Amino acid sequence: MTAAAPTRTRFVLPPGRLATEPPEWRGRGRDDVRLLVASRYAVVHEHFPSLREYLREGDVLVVNNSVTLPSAVAARDGSGRRFPLHVSTALDDGRWVVEARRPDQSGPDFSLSPGTRLALPGGVELVVDEPFPDAGARPSRLWSAVVSPTVDRARYLERFGSPIVYDYVTGHPPTSYYQNVWASEPGSAEMPSAGRPFTAELLVRLVSRGITVVPITLHCGVSSPELHEPPAPEPFRVSESAAAAVNSARARGGRVVAVGTTVVRALESVASPDGTVHEGAGWTDLVLSAERPARVVDGLVTGLHEPEASHLDLLDAVAGPELVDKAYEALVQGDYLWHEFGDSTLLLP
Amino acid sequence: MTPHAQAPVRPVALVTGASRGLGRALARELAAQGWALVLDARDPVRLHRVAVELGALTDVSALAGDVADPAHREALGRAVDAHRRLDALVNNASVLGPSPLVPLRELDLTELQRTWTVNALAPLALVQRVLPALERTGGAVVDVSSDAAVEAYAGWGCYGSAKAALDALTAVLAVEQPELTVYAFDPGDMATDLHQQAFPGEDVYDRPAPESVVPALLELVCGRLPSGRYRAADLAPVEAEAVTA
Repeated sequence: MTAAAPTRTRFVLPPGRLATEPPEWRGRGRDDVRLLVASRYAVVHEHFPSLREYLREGDVLVVNNSVTLPSAVAARDGSGRRFPLHVSTALDDGRWVVEARRPDQSGPDFSLSPGTRLALPGGVELVVDEPFPDAGARPSRLWSAVVSPTVDRARYLERFGSPIVYDYVTGHPPTSYYQNVWASEPGSAEMPSAGRPFTAELLVRLVSRGITVVPITLHCGVSSPELHEPPAPEPFRVSESAAAAVNSARARGGRVVAVGTTVVRALESVASPDGTVHEGAGWTDLVLSAERPARVVDGLVTGLHEPEASHLDLLDAVAGPELVDKAYEALVQGDYLWHEFGDSTLLLP
Repeated sequence: MTPHAQAPVRPVALVTGASRGLGRALARELAAQGWALVLDARDPVRLHRVAVELGALTDVSALAGDVADPAHREALGRAVDAHRRLDALVNNASVLGPSPLVPLRELDLTELQRTWTVNALAPLALVQRVLPALERTGGAVVDVSSDAAVEAYAGWGCYGSAKAALDALTAVLAVEQPELTVYAFDPGDMATDLHQQAFPGEDVYDRPAPESVVPALLELVCGRLPSGRYRAADLAPVEAEAVTA
């Protein structure tokens, strides 16, 4: 199967605990979700806006400003079979990385092979090239594909795509539901969802208390919640001013709190062993874990991850396996909701 | 550098009722001054927020529980034992009793018993538990009192009688333990949740903020004055004026 072995199963996710719709559809605010706060003192149950009680003047909150593209398109293969295709990212040479899905959205379809031709809306054709990121992998979930004619991925998807919606979600939330309030750089296939519960009002309250909000960019590929793979290489950018803001906060004793695992990955990709951050851009294949702990990130706001998800290893890298296990025990017992429209956690080791 | 130089010893304070109001304001100031803290409060979420905030500044033990509960007091005692010393015990946790206030003829005796337990018995019980650690440093005991302990205000019989008992215990303790400094401290009216409970529906936030009383309280926590009963207004007239001006 896939190259890496799944990580150990750390908890059992009880049935009925996937958030099936955004809180807005229940007549509530974006921020009207629960927040579990895990620190060395205790694990306590809070409401998301209480996040501000845990941040103080001088801290930096680092957010991912990637815009989520509507990255699902209807594809048709040579035999006329129709199925959803998820466009994960565009490579530097213009090829796209894609994942074919089963027509009922129940999981990935592994039937792509080199040379497969796919017809997409708007007269675009893809020719499947090789497995991504490991060209030797068979079977593979992700493939690179040559696009003709050459089109700009973001503009194409904005016209012909729809948001990627997994089968646990009821209905079709509009694209705006998949954007964070600070999103400005188009490029993600899936939402960097840790930032979703933040409202403009909460951001203003944080900023007015002397907390600096610093953007970085990392475009999320498709994760396929059914599988438990290590994260694929993703394009990122940490600007000079973002790096300077993080470094100066640390120098003054402030904490670096990441909103989302994507932010941790980007920051740690440009961090020296002493925790100093440098500007940088490109593709990151950094994989964080308890064996490669975070150097610069002190705390993490993140959604709830699947029992075998490789994301849990990244949480270990920030908070240590013991605290992560304690937090997930409380999440399971506390009736929390998983996934992008669900509840949230703050890990402050 | 001497090879056996020891790390500077932090003074240690146990503050009850530290998740809000005067207790939180005092804990913040002590943390800023480098004191190690053992903190207590009933509400685990609010106590957690304070612990995370102050944990960046100093060594904090935060134990959620009710000072009326002997097992919880024992846990606080063990947290103090871990430091091997105690420089100040601040008995700040209090309950008001019934809210809104009721005259004595209507007072539920269970409420009275509970108020006496939290406001008078528990402070003495904590003193008994941590006395060896206090004696090691010649530390301070500060029992937070009230003008209701000495003045007869209608409706304040439940709370006032408990604080009067606390005052009496404090005064006797001062005589019996001359190696310590032992204080009753009357902070005066403050904009706190307890004060709000006494006057439900009324805006109590015209009263001084608890932070304004902290400088006066610190005089006692640091044991700089002789044992006795002190009012905040008499200790720090400058600060008190600045707040009301």
